[in-house]
Amino acid sequence: MIHPGQGQAVEREQAAPPFEGDAQRPAQSYWNESWERLRANRMGIVAGSLIVVLAAIAIAAPLFTQFLTHFEPFRLDLDHTFQPPGQPHLLGTDELGRDTLTRLIYGGRVTLGVAFLTVALSLSLGTTVGLVAGYYGRWVDDLLMRFVDVVLAFPAIFLFILMSILFRPTPITLAAIIASVGWGGVARLVRGEVLSVKQRDFILATRSIGARDVRLIVRHLLPNVLPVLIVAASLGVGQIILIEAALDFLGLGIQPPTASWGNMLTNSESYFFHSTWLVYFPGITIFVTVLAANLFGNAVRDAFDPRLK
Amino acid sequence: MLAKYVVRRFLASIVVVLGVTLITLVLMDRTRGTYVPGIDLNPALRPEDIARLRTNLGLDQPFYMWYLTWIWNVLHGDFGRSMIDGSPVMSHILERLPNTLELTGTAIVIGILLSIPLGIVGALRRGSKADHALTVVSVAGFAVPQFWMGLLLILVFSVTFEQHGLPWLPSSGATSPLNGGDILDRIVHLIMPATVLAFFYLSVWSRFTRSSMLEVLSQDYIRTARAKGMSERRVVYLHGLRNALIPLITLVGLELPGLVSGGLVVEVVFGWPGIGRLAFERALQYDYSTVMGVTFFATLLVVAGNLLADVLYAVLDPRIRFA
Repeated sequence: MIHPGQGQAVEREQAAPPFEGDAQRPAQSYWNESWERLRANRMGIVAGSLIVVLAAIAIAAPLFTQFLTHFEPFRLDLDHTFQPPGQPHLLGTDELGRDTLTRLIYGGRVTLGVAFLTVALSLSLGTTVGLVAGYYGRWVDDLLMRFVDVVLAFPAIFLFILMSILFRPTPITLAAIIASVGWGGVARLVRGEVLSVKQRDFILATRSIGARDVRLIVRHLLPNVLPVLIVAASLGVGQIILIEAALDFLGLGIQPPTASWGNMLTNSESYFFHSTWLVYFPGITIFVTVLAANLFGNAVRDAFDPRLK
Repeated sequence: MLAKYVVRRFLASIVVVLGVTLITLVLMDRTRGTYVPGIDLNPALRPEDIARLRTNLGLDQPFYMWYLTWIWNVLHGDFGRSMIDGSPVMSHILERLPNTLELTGTAIVIGILLSIPLGIVGALRRGSKADHALTVVSVAGFAVPQFWMGLLLILVFSVTFEQHGLPWLPSSGATSPLNGGDILDRIVHLIMPATVLAFFYLSVWSRFTRSSMLEVLSQDYIRTARAKGMSERRVVYLHGLRNALIPLITLVGLELPGLVSGGLVVEVVFGWPGIGRLAFERALQYDYSTVMGVTFFATLLVVAGNLLADVLYAVLDPRIRFA
């Protein structure tokens, strides 16, 4: 049996599934083991800590601007446009005299917030659809999965363009827009897991003692697809930040004057001749953040993905 | 068995194409409001002119009637005329498509040609300096925003080089506006955008080749080949590489849809007159017929890419069977 897009998963198809009746091991040990593996991955821990630090800075943005940069993200200062990095503007100012570092810190709120919200939205929708389709099978499965096919075949960029005209992009609607494409992959992934877990004896046993569908799905199937979800979530953050930054750059995402790492670069081509820092800093911030998110995601996959053992 | 599978997938593909175009139209119809495409090109229009325009463009009908008409026409090979400039949608697509294919095609070819050897080196000298360097490059390529990389290239190779009197690369367009269009001119324009795209493909595919190669080289039949005294070169290239490349084919096949929409950001940064930018600009103007035409082709590519990847995969790997 093959599905479109299965190719990427092929390299790890023979490994053992999770929780396969391994009598010697207590049920707890999978999580402990994975956690130990993650902790032993120094690169992954450093990357993960960086993400936590960036998120903390974003959350505490007013504190940082109060005590470190001393500027407001929206305050124009037309006497000090295009100030090079130095004092008092540590990373310089833009065409309206706004402090770059302050805007980067506030932009982090938007960018990281959108990224985490997007992951949460696409995971919850994708998981629900995947669980229902995989569990009920038959026409429910056919119907839902054909819909997923349509979503995944959509040239995503057109969907983004049209949706961002339809819903004026705020951080929340932007997350919903990006998630409206992202959930399809999650649904496919979860459905695949459910199809294999469903066949196990413990499901039959649970059903035979009279468990209802909802209980079976929530208490027995969901915990078994959790490892796959954790991996998908941690690998997704970096990609979503890149998509969001690109949409902001194209003018389809967060609208000025609200700062986001992507829209700070929108007009930067005009400043090439005199103010290159306006091109460097937002890009470096995106790059480092995505890098850290990806490295952490890889570490999580290596630690948690049961198929990699 | 294969034929039956292909037919079934083909039928499913029709549903997908219909679904995608329908959703596109509904979204456009919801967002348009009472705006009539092209209306702001002529400020002297009277209300009765606008009403006539609406009738001519078919916008006085509900969207499903418009959709049915559109499908009927597409089945007869007619993609209609642009609502903005009145020229056939097909001619717009045919004008822009070669540029996009030139850009993404070059990037894909460069990506394949570089990533396979690099992936092999990484796998054969696992843990060496070369392998680590490759890992760094590939991790970076996966994390760098394409538009930012494009901006940096323009900053260095167009702006800074020109300021220092060095030979610089053009930052925008597919050809020079004056006296342009010969092969050398096109190549010069192609260098930077193709580099950005190829860098991304390179980072994904070299990683993939490496892990696929490592997995294949640990198989029993490789040990058998070595045991019977076959030269290392034959083992690696004849038995190893051939099997390691099978999954890569799927991956490249899945990249086909990127031919149209994936290059959009790069097309915007480098002012490349490609099909992604056409759709981007026309969607902002509610040019129904052009957007529908491009969406149709883009979706066709997605579906064809998926199907091709699956079928090729099954043909190349006899272990896969169709159900």
